[in-house]
Amino acid sequence: MKKIQYYISALLLVAVAAMSFSSCSEDKLGDTIFPDIDETLDPTSHSYKLDKFLKENYLDKYNLTFLYKMPDISTNMNYNLVPADYNNSVDLAVLCKHLWFDVYDKVAGDDFLKRYGPRIILLVGSPAINATSGSETVGLAEGGIKITLFKVNSMDVSNFTQMNELYFHTMHHEFAHILHQTKTYPTEFNTISVGRYDANNWQYRGNEVTSLGFVTPYGSSEYREDFAETIACFITYTETEWNRLLQLASRGYATSASEDDLDAVYYSYYYYPNNDTEAEISYLDERYVITVVDEDGTIHLYNRNERDKQGNRIVVYEVEDKDGIDGADAILQKVQIARQWFHDAWNVDLDALRQEVQTRQSTYWQDMDSLRQMVYGIQ
Amino acid sequence: MKKFFNISLLTIVALSTLSLSSCKNEIDDIFDEDAVTRLEKAKAEYTNILTDKGGKWQLEYYANDEEPGYIYLMTFAKDGSVTIAGHNKWINYIKTGSVTTASSYGSEVSMWEVIADNGPVLSFNTYNKYFHIFADPYDIPSVGGATSDDDVNEDGYGHEGDYEFDIMKYVESAEGDTLFLTGKKYNLNMIMTRVGVNQPVDDEVYMNEVVAMADSFFNAKVPQVYINLPNGVRWIVKNGATSILKMFREGADEISTAETHNVIITHDGLSFMDPLTIDGYTIQNFTRQADGSLLCRDDHETTMTADPLAVVFDNRNLIWRADFKDVGGRFAELVAQLTNELKAYNKSTLQYAQIEYDRATEVYKLSFNIKKSTVKYNPTYFFTMEQVNENQVKFNVAAEGDKMGETYATKCPAIRAIVDELGSTTINLTANSLLAPVNMKTSVNGNDYIVWNLQ
Repeated sequence: MKKIQYYISALLLVAVAAMSFSSCSEDKLGDTIFPDIDETLDPTSHSYKLDKFLKENYLDKYNLTFLYKMPDISTNMNYNLVPADYNNSVDLAVLCKHLWFDVYDKVAGDDFLKRYGPRIILLVGSPAINATSGSETVGLAEGGIKITLFKVNSMDVSNFTQMNELYFHTMHHEFAHILHQTKTYPTEFNTISVGRYDANNWQYRGNEVTSLGFVTPYGSSEYREDFAETIACFITYTETEWNRLLQLASRGYATSASEDDLDAVYYSYYYYPNNDTEAEISYLDERYVITVVDEDGTIHLYNRNERDKQGNRIVVYEVEDKDGIDGADAILQKVQIARQWFHDAWNVDLDALRQEVQTRQSTYWQDMDSLRQMVYGIQ
Repeated sequence: MKKFFNISLLTIVALSTLSLSSCKNEIDDIFDEDAVTRLEKAKAEYTNILTDKGGKWQLEYYANDEEPGYIYLMTFAKDGSVTIAGHNKWINYIKTGSVTTASSYGSEVSMWEVIADNGPVLSFNTYNKYFHIFADPYDIPSVGGATSDDDVNEDGYGHEGDYEFDIMKYVESAEGDTLFLTGKKYNLNMIMTRVGVNQPVDDEVYMNEVVAMADSFFNAKVPQVYINLPNGVRWIVKNGATSILKMFREGADEISTAETHNVIITHDGLSFMDPLTIDGYTIQNFTRQADGSLLCRDDHETTMTADPLAVVFDNRNLIWRADFKDVGGRFAELVAQLTNELKAYNKSTLQYAQIEYDRATEVYKLSFNIKKSTVKYNPTYFFTMEQVNENQVKFNVAAEGDKMGETYATKCPAIRAIVDELGSTTINLTANSLLAPVNMKTSVNGNDYIVWNLQ
């Protein structure tokens, strides 16, 4: 009897359970909630040539999405940003390939950027201006996968100085961040300029930071920026620019305020006795210094613009370096750590990388038409 | 056995309850498809709407609530490009490098897309210098330059204009298809109206017509216009030429009660940025009428008009000047005669004539500006002005002019003849615009006229 009761109970249970399932049977889920979007490029699209170039040279090759049509919703809404100009995007797309991706492919091997390169490059037309501090962000690396290049609409491809400062430098700076976000650099680097960083007021610093051992004022803001700036400057500065940087770094400097603008501070590397004013000496920047070499090879420094009352050139002297820091040595120490880190962590020769970038940078402008043809020549 | 049935019954009840509760949260689907599918369909639908029927739209664009609105003409193409044309002072700034009240036309091709966010979003996703200038984060130069006292540093902010818009609603109608947009970041409401469906529209011609429309409504030289409410109350409107209207109830204290509202001049009229309620009447959109006045198309009663022409011409604060390039009939003959007489008299030339009120003598002066070499002579005649009706005045000319006036009246009789002709009969007034009558035509009969320009 108990067995019969058991079977009847079991049957009832199954029947009710079946009913309960059948009542919810309409909730069928599809295979995916995401729409099946056709990624095929449309040859009739206004941006087909650039889109095809980006697909073949970045997406297919490096699994990298190169975003030039900026959806503002994918950026920091606290900033007022505008999209990049289309033609400037074309220029930057080919230059990124020429001066960055092709360089690493050649020096570090084809797989290097496939493995460690960013997955997203975003172009933004304007800078990200911090209205409170007045500072401008011209590049950003996030999470080891995304690099944002700002100020694309201000780009003047014919102006090497501007291109180097705003874009070439920024590419390598931000990629240095990506690399150290992946494999950390030796903490020894952080000890070289410890105590001399200023995260809040770096933007008010000038070239005098070189004397403190930094390549740029931004590099003096914090360790990681110093690391990225050191690498970026070493790679992108021309030989002349780099030597000048080291020369300034080994100098002493003086500061003086402007009479017209009390907030403005000027940094000078030279002084001269000045009997024409109440001040015993006056300072001047290297732009106003002329170097004269005697027949016997003696070097004289003179004030370029002024003469004394007798019409003689005014002798100019270097300001004594009183900060107790050998700026050039500090910078070279940092470069050496970066060099070793590139070698040990990435098996990349930083000097070879630099040489390749220098070679390409020196001729990019002459190559610009053929570089653009990589996009505009697409059929 | 009874126990068995009890247990079974309890089991059935319990499981039934469970089975019911398992579907307790089930509700009928509101939509037939999931959200993603619907969003993708909305993107496709709005893409089609934007490119349909020629793809040309007028956008009433506001960068913020402190600046006037500006009309942009946008032509959306299926290849993802959009041609954006405008005519405003910021385009002039891009072209000339300086900010003035002058306006310039500009047109540039960039790209667009309907993208997905919480709903469909219209994004202008590559830079268009004539449109995205309102979103650029740079300092806005002031009229007068960076050293001007009112210059504020907007670095980091700029105009704070949007270039991505939530598409809120689409209305298709015989009067014109309309898209209602809301700026993605700053949430200002804007309207896009389809144009060029029945006949092709040339962007530059269209934008020039918008500028001409603006000129016909407001001119900085015309002191004020009026909003006439259905209850007979008038609101005085000043600063119309800036498109940021200063408004106050007639009779009320201007300083303590005036409010400001920014407007946009459209191709067919004028709209306030937001609906506003004054004296219980809610108004926003005005359409230009055949007579040049504006009629509110929200209540079809409220109008915007200026003073009658006779009141404007008899405004003692205004100065009117005729350079005699636009004269007709008897006046053309007299001007030609005067030109010859001046040449014969002292080889001088007629430059212009000017009407202005003299507060010291409380009469109007009609002064001629006559130039001989570098010397200028101003023979002057006097009259009082009488408003006959809204569009007619009468000059009561004094018998004698000033000393110079009498000399010239003797040597060059045509000069006095012009004055007397003006005073001979009632003068009919017509103007280039009812709201901004800066060119006033004074006719003593149909063909005998002089056009005076407001200074």
